[in-house]
Amino acid sequence: MGEAAAGLVTRRTLGRVTGTAAATTALSGALLVGLPDEAAAVAERRRKRRKKRRKKHRPSTPTTPTPTTPTSPTSPTTPTPPPDVGPVLDSRGLHLVQRFTGGWTSGLAAEVAAAGGTDQWFAAQLDPAGIPDDFSTASASWWVSILASAQDLWARDRAGTEGVWVANANYERWSMLRRMYSRRQVLETMANFWEHHLHAPGEADGVALFRSDYGRMIRRHALGRFDELLLEATTHPAMGVYLGNAVSTKKAPNENLGRELLELHTVGRAAGYTEDDVKSSARILTGYRVDMWKTWNVYYDTTAHWTGPVTVLGFSDPNASADGRAVTAAYLHYLAHHPSTARTIARKLAVRFVSDDPSADLVDHLAQVYLANDTAVVPVLRALVASAEFAEAAGAKMRTPDEDLVATYRALEVAVHAPTAGDSAANAMLWQSSGIGMRPFGWTRPDGRPDRAEAWTSVSRMLNSFDVHYTMSGGWWPTKDAEYRAPAAWLPAASVRFDDLVEHLSCKLLGRSASAVLQTAAAQATGLTASTVITADHGLVRWNMPRLLTVFLDSPTHFTR
Amino acid sequence: MDTTPAGKPCCEEYAGLSRRGLLKGVLGAGAATAFFGTTFTQTAYAATQSADRVLVVLSLRGAADGLSLVVPYGDAAYYTARPRIAIPAASLLAPDGFFGLHPSLAPLVPLWNAGKVAAVHATGLPVANRSHFAAMEALEDADPGSSARVGWINRLIGTDDYENPLQAVGMGFTTPITAMYGPEGTVTTSRVDDMVLAGADRWDPEGRRPLSLNTLWSEAPGAVGRGGRSAIAAVDDFAPVRAISATPANGAAYSDDDLGQALADAARTIKADVGAEVISVDHDGGWDMHANLGTLSWGTMLGAAGALATSLAAFFTDLGPLGDRVTVVTISEFGRRVRENANYGLDHGHGNVMFVLGAGVRGGYRGTWPGLVDSLDADLAVTTDYRSVLAELVTKRLGRSVADVFPGFAPEAVGALL
Repeated sequence: MGEAAAGLVTRRTLGRVTGTAAATTALSGALLVGLPDEAAAVAERRRKRRKKRRKKHRPSTPTTPTPTTPTSPTSPTTPTPPPDVGPVLDSRGLHLVQRFTGGWTSGLAAEVAAAGGTDQWFAAQLDPAGIPDDFSTASASWWVSILASAQDLWARDRAGTEGVWVANANYERWSMLRRMYSRRQVLETMANFWEHHLHAPGEADGVALFRSDYGRMIRRHALGRFDELLLEATTHPAMGVYLGNAVSTKKAPNENLGRELLELHTVGRAAGYTEDDVKSSARILTGYRVDMWKTWNVYYDTTAHWTGPVTVLGFSDPNASADGRAVTAAYLHYLAHHPSTARTIARKLAVRFVSDDPSADLVDHLAQVYLANDTAVVPVLRALVASAEFAEAAGAKMRTPDEDLVATYRALEVAVHAPTAGDSAANAMLWQSSGIGMRPFGWTRPDGRPDRAEAWTSVSRMLNSFDVHYTMSGGWWPTKDAEYRAPAAWLPAASVRFDDLVEHLSCKLLGRSASAVLQTAAAQATGLTASTVITADHGLVRWNMPRLLTVFLDSPTHFTR
Repeated sequence: MDTTPAGKPCCEEYAGLSRRGLLKGVLGAGAATAFFGTTFTQTAYAATQSADRVLVVLSLRGAADGLSLVVPYGDAAYYTARPRIAIPAASLLAPDGFFGLHPSLAPLVPLWNAGKVAAVHATGLPVANRSHFAAMEALEDADPGSSARVGWINRLIGTDDYENPLQAVGMGFTTPITAMYGPEGTVTTSRVDDMVLAGADRWDPEGRRPLSLNTLWSEAPGAVGRGGRSAIAAVDDFAPVRAISATPANGAAYSDDDLGQALADAARTIKADVGAEVISVDHDGGWDMHANLGTLSWGTMLGAAGALATSLAAFFTDLGPLGDRVTVVTISEFGRRVRENANYGLDHGHGNVMFVLGAGVRGGYRGTWPGLVDSLDADLAVTTDYRSVLAELVTKRLGRSVADVFPGFAPEAVGALL
């Protein structure tokens, strides 16, 4: 990009706006108006839904049919200069932030502008130490379990204070919150990437005790080197407990981690390793133990380490010492620098950030950059973003359920506060994510959740997303310890034509101008015409704003990134 | 994506199908003519047809240990290889002198005694594949010569002219399985009760919500667009299923877990008779028992086998006479080693057992026993290609040809069906 400000375009609404005053304050009572029979029906629906599933949200306020006549005059207005609706990124900048943040939110435009443009913003994000981390630090204390030791978590479980599954749930919540509100958006995006690559679901027995520590460890390495990350992750108790290495012995090495390390985390099956290689891999890893279900102490046990020569692909070692930590480090370093691992990581990054089917050329190129930089990920990301293939892939990736939810909170600019109850937004968002189709780290198998559109476009998933979008558009659930924008706050002016309002909302919620399809869909959803004049007193604002806001969230644009 | 000019969809067949599906969904809403007319001009396809015969494919994810489920107690190596976790012969159910069922499978014994359950042992992929993920892909693609991402269930429903996506329904999970991937439209849903469109309610008497969504999605490209259109159409197609009571019939009691929920939803779908010829149920039931598979007094196999049997028995109880249409087959990606490991568990092996239950089944222990070997890496050898079992179902129950569903495969007779 050339000029510093080239990533920014100051958008002005294209249409006509009636009135010039700022948006009026919210009509706080308007949403609570409902007819008695509707209230009863809603109450019944809520009861049914609660019965159906606890994690399902439910509207607590009915919408009412749209009045067919607007409450404001619709006479043609004088074409006064349109008000400034704030800067919106150009298409390239929008594409970059969609891929490397939790999703568009209108504050991003100002953030990019303050950085001096998209490239400068991205460069700063790649060096997160320079970005305040206040939100992540503060929100880590929202739940005691985030920073508690395994022993403390176990004691809390035994005492009936907090089950270990809750501790794990809290970590998943915190991870989503970070993606919603952390200013280190690229760091959070990459932490999430590695957590799926080195997947260790906290719902598996015992993993929960170590899951937050594991996630925080990954976050420390998220923009660092893969060889360092791989060593810490493979020998971490969360991974050891999940894939059986924590109970593996020299007498009968458990092959689970040794195999998945090769197949999933590093070289992949195409590298051509044999069953003997898998056995050696498992033998090398013996010794990293956890005293499961008793003290949960993490220790290295020299009496459990298998000794004797080991060979895995091109790696071999006499492995004569009962302390196998040095050979483990050498083995993992070998794997991290293996060309097949480079392709595994390059391909995974390309599938995550470019498209479902990246070209072999791009993967090869990124793999070379990875190897040339000693497994450092930042140069690979720079190369990826600079590729022509990336530039052509805007909107090509489907959001997973948790990504949809994160993006929805960001688009609607919901403010979330420290939870005070089980149904506080910070807690409820986990049920929202699973209601759509998957908790953030809920995939039960070690291969990590799939990252192709076909996996996330089932009927269930789509309908559940529509449901969450609509419910949040109404601000109906979750409501506790959360602030939604009042309906009138979405108006750019005291009086505005409907099509201009749609244009304004498209910029606010989706970061781009409204397409003709979106204009049509918005008109159909509300029964309003382009020239209808909307004020805070209009029925749309008083009753029907959820039916308009959800149009943007239900669009293919919001489903993709 | 709706800012992109409407381009040519990447697969015309899909696009046409989905539009017809959409139109049908719109018309199916009853008073739908109010918002018909602008976008869709094609003729609606026929309403859902009746499925006289239904195949339920139950995937036991994680590689269940077939030697614990159907125990070869007549093979001495079974006991020497598993000194701690072998199941004593005296505890086994339905013993025939060589094989017996895990005690937790007791709920299936009435069906077994009625000749409605076959256990085909030593089945699997012809070549051992110890990767869960690669094995599942190979198993469900079931067309080793082809690089096309088309699963065998998708090929199966592609052999006729019937195009409603409800012909193949996936249940129990949100993500579609490999066996269903391909050009034919299918439906995957985690729960029948989720098949509603939020906001299309009594406060939307003019149908503005579905109208607006149709507009948003009618030209959206790619898999995402297909997903959106299928979802909107499926809401109406599934209305008869939602109308069936969620309370199981005949006092049936499913296990209180995802499997029970999925099979109960499968039963509702069959009762509603919306043309679901193949129902795929995905069960991730903790079968990957590297550690703590355990014994008859503790461990994970007790509960896993019990939940499986409870839910399968409840499924046929719930269906009642309709069960005469329905055949269930279980598949797990591979079996586990013969010899136990140090953690009361079993590592990845090869051969496994497949259960075939319900209509048309020739009950009893089937397959060719290869004999067990007690050595460190020994597997149960595969003597019956799993496709031979599926081929019998595909040909005898669903009237399809092996060549269409399993191209190039020459099945052997298994004898699990009448």
